[in-house]
Amino acid sequence: MPALLRVERLSKRFGGLRAVQDVSFEVQEGEILALIGPNGAGKTTTFHLITGFHRADSGRVLFGDSDLVGLRPSAVCLKGVCRTFQVARPFGDMTVLENVMTGAFSRRPRRAAAASRAREVLGLVGLEGKIDVLARDLTTIDQRRLEVARALSTDPRLVLLDETMAGLNQAEADVAVALVRRLREEGLTVVIVEHVMRAIMAIADRIVVLDHGQKIAEGLPREVVDDPEVVRAYLGSSYRHAS
Amino acid sequence: MTRLDLRAPSVYVPMLLLVLALVAPVAVPNAFFRSVLIEAAIFALLGVGWNILGGYAGQLSLGHAAYFGMGAYTSTLLLVYGGVATIYGMWVGAVMAMLLSIPIGLASFRLRGPYFAIASIATAETLRLLALKFREFTFGALGTTIPLTPNAPLNFLFADKLGLYYTAVTLVLVAVAATAWIERNKLGFYLVAVGQDEDAAEAVGVRSPWVKQQANFVSAFVSALAGTLYVQYTYFIQPDTVFGLAISTEAVLVAIVGGVGTLWGPVIGALLLQPIAAVAQAQLGSTYAGAQLIVYSVILLVVILARPSGVVGVLSPVYWRALSILPGAAIDRRRRVAPASEVSRASAA
Amino acid sequence: MTPTVVIQAVINGLLIGGIYGLVSIGVSLIFGVVKFVNFAHGEFLMVAMFATFWMWQLLGLDPYVSLFISVPLMFLFGACVQQVLFRRVIGGSDLPQIFLTFALGILLANLALLFFRADVRTVRTPYTDATINIANEIFISWPRLIAFLVALALSGALFTFLTRTDIGQAMRAAAQDRDTAMLVGIDPDRVYRVAVGLASALAAAAGTLLMPFFVVHPYVGAQFGLIAFVVVIVGTLGDIRGALLGGLLLGVVESLGIQFVGADSGRILVFLILLLTLILRPSGLFGGRGART
Repeated sequence: MPALLRVERLSKRFGGLRAVQDVSFEVQEGEILALIGPNGAGKTTTFHLITGFHRADSGRVLFGDSDLVGLRPSAVCLKGVCRTFQVARPFGDMTVLENVMTGAFSRRPRRAAAASRAREVLGLVGLEGKIDVLARDLTTIDQRRLEVARALSTDPRLVLLDETMAGLNQAEADVAVALVRRLREEGLTVVIVEHVMRAIMAIADRIVVLDHGQKIAEGLPREVVDDPEVVRAYLGSSYRHAS
Repeated sequence: MTRLDLRAPSVYVPMLLLVLALVAPVAVPNAFFRSVLIEAAIFALLGVGWNILGGYAGQLSLGHAAYFGMGAYTSTLLLVYGGVATIYGMWVGAVMAMLLSIPIGLASFRLRGPYFAIASIATAETLRLLALKFREFTFGALGTTIPLTPNAPLNFLFADKLGLYYTAVTLVLVAVAATAWIERNKLGFYLVAVGQDEDAAEAVGVRSPWVKQQANFVSAFVSALAGTLYVQYTYFIQPDTVFGLAISTEAVLVAIVGGVGTLWGPVIGALLLQPIAAVAQAQLGSTYAGAQLIVYSVILLVVILARPSGVVGVLSPVYWRALSILPGAAIDRRRRVAPASEVSRASAA
Repeated sequence: MTPTVVIQAVINGLLIGGIYGLVSIGVSLIFGVVKFVNFAHGEFLMVAMFATFWMWQLLGLDPYVSLFISVPLMFLFGACVQQVLFRRVIGGSDLPQIFLTFALGILLANLALLFFRADVRTVRTPYTDATINIANEIFISWPRLIAFLVALALSGALFTFLTRTDIGQAMRAAAQDRDTAMLVGIDPDRVYRVAVGLASALAAAAGTLLMPFFVVHPYVGAQFGLIAFVVVIVGTLGDIRGALLGGLLLGVVESLGIQFVGADSGRILVFLILLLTLILRPSGLFGGRGART
């Protein structure tokens, strides 16, 4: 079965810094793939490269038949690949509903249709009680939910979630884990960047490990966790912390 | 709102205000008062135009005189050379301003930061210089007067200027209605999204350069109409006035003082500022050159530092509060006419 | 179009370009450190020009002497403006930043209009018309040459300051990194004050150096300010070297424009360069990585 997303030998430099080097991986339809690695490993940059916020120096990002490299972020989104930001970036002066309607408009030019899609998605993330609150008045956690809802409202086939669970307590993280599972049940494919290992072990089908911009391991969660190179680069300390 | 219910304050209060605006110059037949009203209407129109681009889409133009002057010169030159009535010429001027907006947008809307602000001043200045250079065609620095024909309604020349006032008020209302429509629909959401956070907007499928350019088109069109009205009001056109910094400042000022990115902000701003400007000009203008712009810049500084949300930020809660205690308020409550943000603000307080 | 005319125009352009460079360096320095364009920068120059004029008119001070008064005074003026006004909008959104400086510029210009009227004033010095004849029919005006040389010297001095002192290095670090303030161990407010103060001092130097051969009126600042804004885009925002070279380049462009397009409309060429830069190379001549899009 052909992969939904194929990242091929992606590279990006910033001045002298090789942020991402020759990174390749595939994401199968319906899969939850986790992208992990220590700080500065190139995870967020990889997201930026896939979604058009940075332009790759070389390599390809194949989504279905089309290469996403060189497309604007908005065009990538319209192809069906949508992302969230590490630090939530709501439109602060809009209400929660208006924020999500902005995303929903991408597939539904009419207001009524956009509003009903927005309500639907807000129900999914558990924000249905706050639709008329100004986004800037939300708590950090609710802003992150809003961020996910706004991304989902664009009807993506693939969502990239950038550290959606950072800073959540265990109960909140469990809710988030359930949400990600729910997305898969809805037929979505998910790539997550995450530090919370407990959550990753719970939901990821496969893990890709980056370090210093390069892929150092890839496989099932159990295999990756036991990979000595991964342990050395990253998991050694933080996995023990988390468990 | 399916049907206008005249018993609801959200319907009858705006209507009363509209009636007031229409009756005011007839009720008070004072030439000074009328000229203040006309200027307020013209600059409200310019401010509404500026606000679509600067207020909603966050693209801060410091050179809106470019569009204003383009409208003014196009309709005037068509009238002077071709005898084309202003009522037609002003639409040509508006379209010319839209064309002018294309290179500005192409040059600066891919970028963020101060590029557009600088490009906009440069555009107004370039047009001013071009109008000075091609003086055989544009009458250069000396400018030209509008050919005066007594009572020629098609050229907006009326015996007592009341006609011009009603023309301007009509255009303001249409422009506000257009803004309201934009605000409620996809484009409006996209403009605000781009104005707030371009990256986040792009991430959910908003093609920001094109969205900005759409705002630029509308903004140029509306601002150019204001330019035409202005020359039909002053009977005179000259590069330094219509392409000058004072006009660009006026556009910014009415919008910011009134309330940037709000539907009625520029109109309220113009209604507040024009009387101040007119009095400052009449009282001080002859003795103290620059008095009007000094007053303007101080107001601008104070609003920016103290109340960036402008007068609307202060008045809007008061207005909705007032509506909620007027007779018939129950109808409004049932229909939930107050904007969600006002409701949440009131419940938070 | 004889070669002599062209050479003369290029020389005049280079000489005034030094002044443009000095003004633009200030705009770029402020942008680099506080992250917004000071739209009142031309008016800072205008204030210094009037100060120079009045010191000459009332006290009989030669501009090259009053340079030593106007420059430190404007340093203080800039530092105060930073402390009282700019500080309130640092780190904020575009709207207050742009309109605060824009309003300040209008205020300064119209205060000048209020006090000094729209009259065009000049300073007459014994050397105002002094020239060197460097070749057949080609002349260099002494005061323009001095202005140019002093401008270059001051640019060099500023560059040394930025590379050799702690506070200067903090400014460069801040200019290179938009997102994180790299002002470790240094009071950022002080860095801001010094940066805006220095930028204003450079504008003062430019204004004073102009006076022996240029006119002053309340709206002269707008003219120089606009050129400087174009220069900093062409020479890459925040880049000091780019501001100087961009100033020289646009000085020449403008001078050729005045010669061959028309006295009052020559500056159209400058704006044409702006348009081309924005479309073809928006990051400017020295922006390797490209503007953030």
